[in-house]
Amino acid sequence: MANRILFLIILIGLSATTSLNAQDELSKKLSNVNIKGTNFITYPAYSGTPYFNEKFLIGELEFLDGTKIENIGLRYSSYRDEIIYYNTDLSTQIVIDKISIKSFSFNDENEVKRIFRRQNYTGFLTGERFFEVLSDGEIALLAYRKVDLGTCDPAYSKLGLAYQKSYSYYMYSAASGYSPIALNRNSLLSKFSKPNQKLAKKVLRKNRVVFSDEASFVLAWNLLKENGIPINF
Amino acid sequence: MKRRIIILLLLFVAMMGKAQEKEHFSLFTDRDLYVSGETLLFKVFVPVDDQSGIVNLDLVNTNGRIISEISKRIIDHQTDGFIILPDSLSSGSYLVCASTKINPSLTVKELFITNQFAGLPESNHALRSSETDLFVEKPATSLRVEGLDKTYKTRGKASLTLNLPTELLSQISENMFVSIVETDPEYNSKTFFRHIKPIKNQIIEKEGVILDGFIKDVKTGEPYKNGVVFLSVSDTIPRFKYFITGNDGYFIFRLDNYFGKIPVVVQGFDREDKRLLKVIINHRDSLKSAVPQLETWTFSPELRKSTGNNIDASMFCKIFNYQELTASPIPVNKTDEYPFYGVTTEIVNTKLFIDLPDFTEIARELLSGVKFRANNRIPSLQIFSPALHNYFSDPPLLLIDGIPVRDLNVIKDMGSKDINRIEICRSKRFYGNLVFYGVVAIHTSKHDYTGIKASDDLIKFDLDAIQPDITLNTPVELKLNEMDLRKVLLWKPSLKPKPTINLDFETSDIRGNYKLIIHGKTRDGSNFYKEQIFEVN
Repeated sequence: MANRILFLIILIGLSATTSLNAQDELSKKLSNVNIKGTNFITYPAYSGTPYFNEKFLIGELEFLDGTKIENIGLRYSSYRDEIIYYNTDLSTQIVIDKISIKSFSFNDENEVKRIFRRQNYTGFLTGERFFEVLSDGEIALLAYRKVDLGTCDPAYSKLGLAYQKSYSYYMYSAASGYSPIALNRNSLLSKFSKPNQKLAKKVLRKNRVVFSDEASFVLAWNLLKENGIPINF
Repeated sequence: MKRRIIILLLLFVAMMGKAQEKEHFSLFTDRDLYVSGETLLFKVFVPVDDQSGIVNLDLVNTNGRIISEISKRIIDHQTDGFIILPDSLSSGSYLVCASTKINPSLTVKELFITNQFAGLPESNHALRSSETDLFVEKPATSLRVEGLDKTYKTRGKASLTLNLPTELLSQISENMFVSIVETDPEYNSKTFFRHIKPIKNQIIEKEGVILDGFIKDVKTGEPYKNGVVFLSVSDTIPRFKYFITGNDGYFIFRLDNYFGKIPVVVQGFDREDKRLLKVIINHRDSLKSAVPQLETWTFSPELRKSTGNNIDASMFCKIFNYQELTASPIPVNKTDEYPFYGVTTEIVNTKLFIDLPDFTEIARELLSGVKFRANNRIPSLQIFSPALHNYFSDPPLLLIDGIPVRDLNVIKDMGSKDINRIEICRSKRFYGNLVFYGVVAIHTSKHDYTGIKASDDLIKFDLDAIQPDITLNTPVELKLNEMDLRKVLLWKPSLKPKPTINLDFETSDIRGNYKLIIHGKTRDGSNFYKEQIFEVN
């Protein structure tokens, strides 16, 4: 008798689980976002890399309408400033329509989250660009990860052409737009008024910040932001 | 061990029983008696534990046949809307049913509708519900109505005050519903509960209605696996969705943020084009479980007289084209900035060129890189891809007014006069897992896609999406020779509870009994009401 009852309970439990699973599957199918894009055509092979991330990295996409897709293989092409995803069902690389994207992010090889945002660039060569958000806020620090195809020493590339990094950095606020910034101490300090420059120098000295690379520059930027030193922008 | 299992089983059964005792929908309509062609106003309080975002209101006859279906968005566990009663309804009892797709509980309200041409049946008899599982409300004795007189003159202005004591205010969980409508003491309709068999694996309607169905192989009649189902809505920016069926041939589309009546085209086809498929849309045409036990009921002479007056008033409204309601503008949710097939690379306005008799000529003369051949019985269409430096071997996606078309014969005879503009995408496009080898989008002059013929694998119909909100029209400075034939003097479906609520209304030209009624819901899930009757003469 006890066995029969136990069997009955298990049976009811199993049937409920199966029914829930079927519903979950349908819900999942329904909430699938259909990504719009074009066929990816491979770039000519020269020295250097046209991509920001050579391998497809698992990331997240956010579209203009607010829908999000998580766990998607993404590769950012710095050369064409476009985001490519790998469609596992079609086994195809697809360039996602830039116009449909709001932002995308992925964790790089060092498990650092890289966030890119589509913004309209109003400076020279105006248009929609993907900017990496190095520091967000009312005034954001952005990086435009451009790669150019340029001539180079034939010793470096047999064809005499190579993909070369041509990154540019900007301070951005919705009200004031873009202001280019170089990755050095003087460029950063020039964004502050004279009295605030002294304060900024003090903070940087106290924290022993040495401007050696992008990471140290972002660290300095964040330190000055945390200390509430107002930027002249 | 045995005892423990039995206790467990009993506990389980008890829990199941508890689950059955769920809160019900509270359904109210403006009146109980209607004339065909009139508008029925409704208000629904949805159970707090119902996760649906959409409530379904069905008008059903006593045979269970669904006459009208309304989908309304639920906001703060309540909603209100309207049902236009068709002119052709025969005189008799009808049922309005409130439900959601996942809730097995059904709240049904009985109404009596008189045909505006035939009047009440000659037999003087009709069928009425004898249901006993009735919807019960508690009278709100502490709620006081001040300033409402016993009688009013026609076309008189009046105001009243509702005083809600603090104790009642603290108990009210949602907005209240207040109305002043014409009433007939000879007929009081019943509201009762029924249970329906819930649909298996039903998806919750959250932001919009759900459209589902099956595709079957025409030859074998079996559900078709791996078939593609397209759903298209013709619009300025055409909307498109697709579904790839599983073993059961079942497809489902969620139409979020679609409002009003939308023209929908559903087509299903085999990916390899080997089999002819049939599309079947799941559609409830009957709701037999809503129909209660019926008993014969005889009309009183007073009811016959008042119904006659109602028919006259309704006729006058029709003659003078009196609009009782104003629909709010449909909320525009801009989800697509550009069509699903991508930003077009080329737009050709055929009207700017000389008249060309057919599409072969148009393609040859106006569309560079578009090859259309209609020499034999099977026409062909190809697009030149600049990336490939050649024509795609596969045909492009052809759209007529945003509807994908697979039969090229449809465009064969289209001349310049029939076409407004042609949009072309030359690249290989992807939409989810669909691949388009270029796109040719034809926008016709009529924009009615009549050329696309309905068949087994293509269904065209108008889908009732979410009903937009409405406001009740109130008269503005009527002239002496104009009639004010309102039967609903006040309709406040969502009134925020406050200690004092002041309300103004104006009586119409219709004499008779009117009822002020206040409905609300308390935190424990029960309903309360307060009603007061007055006369207009």
